[in-house]
Amino acid sequence: MDKIIIVDIEKCLACKSCEIACALAHSRSKILSEAAQESPKPQRMMAVEAAGEYGVPIQCRHCESAPCIEICPTGAIHREDEQSPVVVEADLCIGCKLCMLVCPFGVLKIGKEGRAIIKCDMCYERLKEGMVPECVEACPTGAIKLVSLEEVTKSRRKEASEQIVRESGSGKGRQGKAKRVKGGK
Amino acid sequence: MRKVVVIGGSAAGMMAAISAAVYDSNADVTVVSRDLTAYRRPGIPALVAGYISDPAGAGVFAGETLGQYKIRLICPAEVTNINVKTKTVSVQGEGKIQELGFDSAVIATGGYPIIPKIPGSEKKGVYTFTTFEGAQEIVEATREAETAVVVGAGFVALEIAESLMHKGLDVYFNVRSRILRKIVEPDVSEFLSRRFDKSGLKMLIGEAISEVGGAGSVEYVVHKSKKISTKVVIMGTGVKPSVSLAEKCGIALGSSGAIKVDNRMQTSVADIYAAGDCAESPDLGTGRFVYSPVGSIGAMAGRIAGANAAGGNEESKGFLRAQTDEILGMQIFSIGHSTTTAKEVNLAVTVRDLRAPVSGQDDRGAGSFETGKLLTDIDNRIVGAQLVSVYHGSQYAWQLYQAVLRGKDREKFLKEFNSPRRKFTETMLATAGSTISVENVGDDNALRWQNKLCQKQEQ
Ligand SMILES: Cc1cc2nc3c(=O)[nH]c(=O)nc-3n(C[C@H](O)[C@H](O)[C@H](O)COP(=O)(O)OP(=O)(O)OC[C@H]3O[C@@H](n4cnc5c(N)ncnc54)[C@H](O)[C@@H]3O)c2cc1C
Repeated sequence: MDKIIIVDIEKCLACKSCEIACALAHSRSKILSEAAQESPKPQRMMAVEAAGEYGVPIQCRHCESAPCIEICPTGAIHREDEQSPVVVEADLCIGCKLCMLVCPFGVLKIGKEGRAIIKCDMCYERLKEGMVPECVEACPTGAIKLVSLEEVTKSRRKEASEQIVRESGSGKGRQGKAKRVKGGK
Repeated sequence: MRKVVVIGGSAAGMMAAISAAVYDSNADVTVVSRDLTAYRRPGIPALVAGYISDPAGAGVFAGETLGQYKIRLICPAEVTNINVKTKTVSVQGEGKIQELGFDSAVIATGGYPIIPKIPGSEKKGVYTFTTFEGAQEIVEATREAETAVVVGAGFVALEIAESLMHKGLDVYFNVRSRILRKIVEPDVSEFLSRRFDKSGLKMLIGEAISEVGGAGSVEYVVHKSKKISTKVVIMGTGVKPSVSLAEKCGIALGSSGAIKVDNRMQTSVADIYAAGDCAESPDLGTGRFVYSPVGSIGAMAGRIAGANAAGGNEESKGFLRAQTDEILGMQIFSIGHSTTTAKEVNLAVTVRDLRAPVSGQDDRGAGSFETGKLLTDIDNRIVGAQLVSVYHGSQYAWQLYQAVLRGKDREKFLKEFNSPRRKFTETMLATAGSTISVENVGDDNALRWQNKLCQKQEQ
């Protein structure tokens, strides 16, 4: 995968705009007022979970060696190539639910309509056209982001180097924590 | 060109056909199916709930998929005979009777619903639902009805009950023994019964209904000498293997009554294979042959049968039964053996209670479970696990699945399972069965093998 979805939980307000956008994208009408009337109700493929005092938007992690792909007895769950998200080919899904059993994140669901398994496909069609997934687009605070792995590693490197500076500076009182602690006394 | 004929067009049959075509792309593969169109059986509750109105709503293995593998589908049509000497099957359908020759055949005729022998169970108003046609009758019958009685113990009966509740019916659920008897321990059954009852499913437990009464059609049932008015009785009491075709041509049956096969899914007759709800299958831990009518095993066995029918030499190391479902807000997981199934294969097991540090929804972020079980054999290897959760039980279920699949050592497993953040406790409950040692546990070759086929398919 060259792009992944990351979440900055400090920015998440748990407003659930992402959930609504996701459900709407998977509705029949794609129009909010009409989608709300559909039966079964449009299902969302991601959720904002409460974790302590935080809200955490969670969608399929598209694991590199994905347990759901490994266990699927019909090959319905697959990825087109190494860079693609994990998707379900409903026409091969016999509804046996083994994938739900092995997913560490609990993000696979039974589709209400035909009881095939449904899951986040990272809005694959949008991705192919250079757009971001619906949940990313809908997030008002920028808590959910689509980033390339290079961007992630770069910002991690930056964070790590800053931390090194902070820590090495603590003994010499050059900056940051150590200084502030002194000043506080 | 090798001719492969598959009898049955559902999970096992279709996977056998695809697997045969993948194995030998020159093979001439034909599927004969009684179904109007192929559909996933687990889609049936969606029909009962009113979310879909025809089998196509839960359609699988569409023409496009089959076309891709050059598989010919003859449906709706019925195989009326297998002639093992001339290697032909008689097919009745499309307005004619034809003889199809084969080099190898796969029997994947599935199962048919058991109707318990209760006085009056032949009355109009008694339904089954293993096919869309059967379920369609339930849909018609429940359009006006206010009450329904579902008889059964397994997941599918519970799914149908929930679907009817969703439609606003008063639903009674009758279990002769206990809920999910085959796959969970007694106290888990009890726990679930209490919860379901609280959710509005009226439980009639501990005794079968003694009568289905009424003049002509159903008007009431009797349970523990209490009369309950209803016009609809649904039998969800499990399936029996459809073996009449196989029996007629002299194919041996196993002790369970399902078609006897070996680890290559071959029957007692050369070049004829069987898979799915009509056949037995090897159990992962013990290697013994059991009757496990679940779609996942049917599909895996179908793949092996199909590859071998096309000239391959694939062998199963045994299948691990693993099931999960969500019923009335409860996530239920059952992996590998329960004390009930362990007894069937003479496996001595020890059952332990697995308790999460928090129960209920207090610590929502971490996920939790209400009750859990860990089953080990005499060598302390994990052979089964059960979990009931209302919130993200899958966080633990996947670890338990891995543990059962690999037959992990219990103590080692618990060390991994208990991270610094969470501390699980377990209590020994009971030891059951006679002592028989288990060989072959801890082999993930079955999984590996599945992958191999997957990769082939992708190429
Ligand atoms: C409501 C419901 C929910 C379920 N949920 C799950 C689940 O969550 N997980 C799971 O693993 N399993 C589940 N199952 C079980 C699963 O669906 C079955 O194990 C699976 O369908 C078995 O597949 P099969 O191909 O062996 O047989 P079947 O699905 O029974 O199909 C048999 C096929 O053979 C054909 N046939 C039979 N006789 C003939 C003949 N003489 N000539 C031509 N064709 C013939 C039939 O038309 C059909 O196509 C569920 C079942 C039901 C009913």
